[in-house]
Amino acid sequence: MHPVLEVLQFQSRRAFLSGAVGTAALASLLHADGPKPAAPAAKAKRIVYLFQSGGPSHLDLFDHKPELAKRFAENLPDSVRKGQRLTGMTATQDTFPVAPSKYTFARHGKSGAWVSELMPNVAGVADHLCFVKAMHTEAINHDPAITFCQTGAQLAGRPSFGSWVSYGLGSTNKDLPAFVVLVSQGSGNPTDQPLYDRLWGSGFLPSRFQGVKFRSQGDPVLFLSNPDGVSADDRRKLLDDLAKLNEMRQAATGDPEIGTRTAQYEMAFRMQKSVPELTDLNDEPKSTFKLYGDDAKKPGTFAANCLLARRMIERDVRFVQLYHRGWDQHVNLPKQIEAQCKDTDRASAALVTDLRQRGLLDDTLVVWGGEFGRTVYSQGKLTKDNYGRDHHPRCFTVWLTGGGIKCGASYGETDDYGYNVAKDGVSVHDLNATLLHCLGLDHEKLTYKYQGRHFRLTDVFGSVVKGVLA
Amino acid sequence: MRFALALSALAVTFPAHGADVDFARDVRPIFAKHCVRCHGAKKHEGGLRLDVRRLALVGGDTGPALVPGTAKGELLRRVVSTDDKLKMPPDGDPLTAEQVATLKAWAEQGAKWPDEFAGKEPADDHWAFKPVMRPAVPRGAAHPVDAFVLAILSDKGLKLAPAAERRTLFRRLHLDLTGLPPAPDEVAAFVKDTSASAYEKAVDKLLASPHFGERWGRHWLDLARFAESDGYENDNLRPEAYRYRDWVVRAFNDDVPFDRFTVEQLAGDLLPGATNEQKTATGFHRNTLWNSAASGDKEEFRTYAVKDRVETTGLAWMGLTLGCAKCHSHKYDPVAHREFYRLYAFFNQTDNTEIRLEGKAYIPVLRELKRDTHVHTRGNFLQKGEAVAPGTPVFLPPLKARGASADRLDLARWLVDPAHPLTARVAVNHVWQHLFGEGLVRTPENFGTTGEKPTHPDLLDWLASEFVRLKWSRKALIKFVVMSATYKQSSARTAKLTAADPTNALLGRQNRFRVEAEIVRDLALSTSGLLNPKLGGPSIVPPFPDGLLAQKFTAESLKMPGPEQHRRGIYVHVQRTLQHPTLAVFDAADGNTACAKRDRSTTPLQALTLLNDPVFVECARALGARIAKRGGDTTAARMRYGFEVCLSRAPTARELAILTELVETHEKLGAKPDVVWFGVARTLLNLEEFTTRE
Repeated sequence: MHPVLEVLQFQSRRAFLSGAVGTAALASLLHADGPKPAAPAAKAKRIVYLFQSGGPSHLDLFDHKPELAKRFAENLPDSVRKGQRLTGMTATQDTFPVAPSKYTFARHGKSGAWVSELMPNVAGVADHLCFVKAMHTEAINHDPAITFCQTGAQLAGRPSFGSWVSYGLGSTNKDLPAFVVLVSQGSGNPTDQPLYDRLWGSGFLPSRFQGVKFRSQGDPVLFLSNPDGVSADDRRKLLDDLAKLNEMRQAATGDPEIGTRTAQYEMAFRMQKSVPELTDLNDEPKSTFKLYGDDAKKPGTFAANCLLARRMIERDVRFVQLYHRGWDQHVNLPKQIEAQCKDTDRASAALVTDLRQRGLLDDTLVVWGGEFGRTVYSQGKLTKDNYGRDHHPRCFTVWLTGGGIKCGASYGETDDYGYNVAKDGVSVHDLNATLLHCLGLDHEKLTYKYQGRHFRLTDVFGSVVKGVLA
Repeated sequence: MRFALALSALAVTFPAHGADVDFARDVRPIFAKHCVRCHGAKKHEGGLRLDVRRLALVGGDTGPALVPGTAKGELLRRVVSTDDKLKMPPDGDPLTAEQVATLKAWAEQGAKWPDEFAGKEPADDHWAFKPVMRPAVPRGAAHPVDAFVLAILSDKGLKLAPAAERRTLFRRLHLDLTGLPPAPDEVAAFVKDTSASAYEKAVDKLLASPHFGERWGRHWLDLARFAESDGYENDNLRPEAYRYRDWVVRAFNDDVPFDRFTVEQLAGDLLPGATNEQKTATGFHRNTLWNSAASGDKEEFRTYAVKDRVETTGLAWMGLTLGCAKCHSHKYDPVAHREFYRLYAFFNQTDNTEIRLEGKAYIPVLRELKRDTHVHTRGNFLQKGEAVAPGTPVFLPPLKARGASADRLDLARWLVDPAHPLTARVAVNHVWQHLFGEGLVRTPENFGTTGEKPTHPDLLDWLASEFVRLKWSRKALIKFVVMSATYKQSSARTAKLTAADPTNALLGRQNRFRVEAEIVRDLALSTSGLLNPKLGGPSIVPPFPDGLLAQKFTAESLKMPGPEQHRRGIYVHVQRTLQHPTLAVFDAADGNTACAKRDRSTTPLQALTLLNDPVFVECARALGARIAKRGGDTTAARMRYGFEVCLSRAPTARELAILTELVETHEKLGAKPDVVWFGVARTLLNLEEFTTRE
């Protein structure tokens, strides 16, 4: 038997593959580094997930509730609250005073999407977006809620979205990882919950499907640089010697894994060139920074990461996952959200525009959203100009655009308080099923057998939301 | 619509309606003809079986098939559906209106299903739940292991591979038993000693080494999901957690019998006159995660921890995956939802506490208390169902309680009762896995009906019975296995064997595989001469790359002085939310859930780590200097020394030529010896063979 087939046969004992996924995943085992076609039904080949960590306030950004102005400081009726669980932070509050958004909303574009004044640039591209207004989730604390969005389960240990996609579709760039992660800290709440590496882990999927985090200080990829005193020529010579020596061992032992090892050293070598090229923004024209803003010149900002995301998409990285912290605005929300939107509004819109102008938006998905929304009632003291909002899993807004998504649309509604889903609710599993669908993956078929069970990103739930599809 | 009309019309006229439907006469034939081909013993499409009463009532992936007393449920919904994705049967003619009406009437009358047709549970016939027998040893070899392996091999016209070269075998034995490579003079002495007892002496010496406990203790720590922080958002430190780690290492070194090892960890606090040492052992279940940030949901996270204790106990001792039963009765796994909560009750009556040792240390341990247990409907702790008492699954031998109600000590003793069909099999399989790279059951976490069957069922059972006969001594068991010819075989592949047995399930050779994350580190430190072999005590925190350390656990107090940095991988601090990158990249267990089998990935990030991580660069410099200093005067002598230190063998002529050329190129450019030999050392440390156990 061909050595690769032998490895494959061994691997497939653990991996249960079916349908279209099977072919792609088998291909990825056969050609770990080679290009692969996207799944046949795919509208999108790649995805940028702009995760807004902390829980952006849907009420101050996208979910316009004009009636609330009349109810300023009224207690939230029990008929609306319906015994919703509270976090430890507001469980001891005696009252739940309604805090209308202090920001002005207006309709934008041909689609007439409501967007608040905090997001003028996003409002400018509203006709290209699909707002999903009745998202809901199960978790009320950050860590379980983010883990749920990113892995389909509240408890740690399942594979992340990106690793599912790189498992299902493989890589299309032989010089870069299929799944890259970029993290930034916003100006909003500086004490947001930390983000952990396991959020982009591969869980029980083989670890080569895990996300590779690009860093904004030091080497962009851990240990990318040669040690002091070692030149690129030294490195090349070392790899050539290793290849020859390893090959001799392979001849003696017949172990095909040795070939895989050599191939991965070569990939590491290529990354030493491709990653610095990718992260070096010197070749970007002035117009780029006019679009994204000067923040994009500062490594580690959300704007810089959005620009890097575009450069990765250009290079066919399959899954680009951004995390932007700072949305956990329990108190002094106005001050924090204004600063936070300055970080994110321009660059988010710029990325959409940039991808569109380059013709990449047709087959790239973009997702913007966090792990939950925020309460209509104020956490802490409420005044006309200042309020805070607690975590709110019952409804929140995300927006989508790109391959397979209906543009200039709004889907789902919340009640007059922006507290409960009123129409067309979309669960986290529904959203994930829909995103996979756009990528040509059937969420019920993208499975992996582990501990006797076939696991999916969507657990045993989720339906594709047809209403957001083009 | 057409269908619905037809149904309502029939409801009036069909004779069975109103009269009792008889399962055997009316319903079973419908299932037999139209359903069980896909929903029966061989195939369970959609997770549904209609040939076993319990499983039919549990239903399939999309929900309950039947809701007795009503016409609800997937079965009736689907047999009348016209949606191509839903309708049942999916192909061919739909059920007739009469058949549908019969099913409906039957369901509404309570879906009565007599015992005689209840069907055979998957667990009834499952090999792993049957008692361990001691099969007769086949003829053909002196060592029972070889006899069992040969019996299967020779059926396929195969035989055992020749023994590995003595050097290879010696290095293998060291890596498997202590995780540290042999020194060149030890290798030479072993190769020279041709006496019959040389190998056995080497085995005994390694089993007596204190590093044996570090090597095998680490395997157990994977199952114990050992970590030194809380996990979740705050991920606070657990500065005394290492005391449990040290307890495990000591227990392996002292060869504490596995039955005692089990009882002390699960219920050391309940033993009469429990010692501090026995209480420290209960740190096993103090390794659960804890969310100190969840001020409003303490009870929720307490229940998560109890569930984790049930699942971890099931996985580590019984090779059972109980997680599914948290929320519902699993289709295949025999542990029912209710039974999960009976197991849960054992650990629900448990609280966390500390004991105080000499000095100021507070050691985390367990204690017993009273707390009632209810089934959590669909796994939700807020939805309390039926009250349950502590108890064990029905398909396993009954538990004998000491008092009116069973407690953890009863549970622990039940697990190590020789009549328990799983414990010894699972433990033996773990040992085998660490000596061959794969278990006899290749799904060590799953001995249930969906796991893989043993490649050598008789051998597994014989070893399980032998393990009990050896009074649960792990050292004796390990020695017994490594003395076999099966263990000593060469791991090289041949075309014939690969064609006949591509995954080496039949064991016609040894396996060849990358060592675990900690051992990668240990090998580099050891061969470079930097290793600090100190045993036990608080963990160390090797340097983290700039910017990687975040938040709370940057505490200066964690940083260790110089020589401490060079301790073995087992002593590297395990922070749940931030694994040390050098270990994480080589698939170390992350301590969040019990891990019975690590992944063995090969990635470009591993290449970058071995080439450029400052720890490995430091090792390469030290190794280069060591070679230059101690390797002799000639390039060839030094090269030979480097190979013997790193690979326990001499270089071949071609290997020598390739690396001599490297040395000469550098020398011509005027490089100093430390630079020249740093280059050679880097090559050696990055060879595939270096991190491979052959």
